[in-house]
Amino acid sequence: MSEMSYMAPERLEDALAAKAEHGAHARVVAGATDLILRMRDGVLRPDLLIDLRRLALDAIELDGDALRLGAYATHGQLLADPLVAAHLPALRQACSEFAGPPIRNRGTLGGNLVNASPAADLVPPLLAYDACVILDSADGRRELPLAAFFTGPGQTVLRPDEILTEVRLPLPPAGTGAEFIKLGQRRSMAISVVSVAARLSLGAAGEVQVARIALGAVAPTVVRAAAAEEALQGHAPDAGRLRAAAGLAGGAATPISDPRASREYRARMVPVLVRRALEAAWSASREAAAHG
Amino acid sequence: MAEGGIRCTVNGQEARFEAGPERTLLQALREELGLTGTKDGCSSGDCGACVVIMDGQPVNACMVLAPQAEGARIRTVEGLAAAGGLHPLQRAFGETWAFQCGFCTPGMLMSCVALLEANDRPSRDDILTAIAGNFCRCTGYQAVVKAVQQAAAEMRGGEGPA
Repeated sequence: MSEMSYMAPERLEDALAAKAEHGAHARVVAGATDLILRMRDGVLRPDLLIDLRRLALDAIELDGDALRLGAYATHGQLLADPLVAAHLPALRQACSEFAGPPIRNRGTLGGNLVNASPAADLVPPLLAYDACVILDSADGRRELPLAAFFTGPGQTVLRPDEILTEVRLPLPPAGTGAEFIKLGQRRSMAISVVSVAARLSLGAAGEVQVARIALGAVAPTVVRAAAAEEALQGHAPDAGRLRAAAGLAGGAATPISDPRASREYRARMVPVLVRRALEAAWSASREAAAHG
Repeated sequence: MAEGGIRCTVNGQEARFEAGPERTLLQALREELGLTGTKDGCSSGDCGACVVIMDGQPVNACMVLAPQAEGARIRTVEGLAAAGGLHPLQRAFGETWAFQCGFCTPGMLMSCVALLEANDRPSRDDILTAIAGNFCRCTGYQAVVKAVQQAAAEMRGGEGPA
């Protein structure tokens, strides 16, 4: 094995300068839980590892009407954070069902996004909350909607000289309810067979002002179910409307068969899980509207 | 990091070892420091046999690059027993037969010690969540739950089980 270099700079500028110099030959290290496997299997052979651990990129904070989640925050930090619990319950739920505690204490938000698995558990709730990603490079900063970040399995628009440093979300409005449902073969340490996040934000008359439905593990990237969202937009939901919308969500899914489940099973589960997620989100949004 | 090796604290003692980024904390503990109590089950972060406590949190030692341990406080199963004897949880594991082959036990112990240090009255669900990343392939998990509750009661000061 050729000698691999490692650095853990104390300033983001130094990390960005190294990434600018080495590009794709340098790999960013956060929790390393995927990186170690890929290096061992020979999928990745970086010349340089740039560890983010000294950069204090793990802050979770409220900034005006936005929530800022540092890319280095672990699943465990997100799970324990009061701001996440108060404003992003569907994200918290996804963190609670992610792997087990020892992996949650290492695996990071940024790693989950950059690895770009179609089954990444944090992506459906982040899409449902309209998250943006902040990409830094020596040349400057880009802010992109998360929906524009992924281009395929393991593929993103992140340039070789860029580092994902932060996820930013608008504070969900009053009257918002959200739900994340993961279907896996076990409650822990399982890769999602299908995952669904739904978010409903209700107006004063109980009408849906914002509907977001995101589906994991049923397409090359996590996808939004746009037709289902549109069917809810502007209407006061009832059980029938939620069921009809859930039926439309299947159109966004183009699942494949793999060792975890067949294409047919995944396709059958999408409307079922979307209906359950919508019902829970609706119930939570009405409760939030009543107490908001 | 190559110059002078990696320095960290292992079981309260200063430790120093040479290991590049192609090696893991698990390999460093076992091969450089001779601490073979931490087991190598899957090397993939799936089984939990290598769980150690790093800066207060249970982690899979196989999922930490050796240089990432620089400056960290690491606790392994070898550090549990004090001069006075076994840790209460180790004793409880023995008394409740919470293991058969014992391969998962070091990782189980470290996950459960981290739990007990954060929560002195864990519920059954708390315990099952804490060991969700620790696989046992022979005894099962019921005796582990019992052992943790027994140790928790003892550590609180001799009350009966919660």
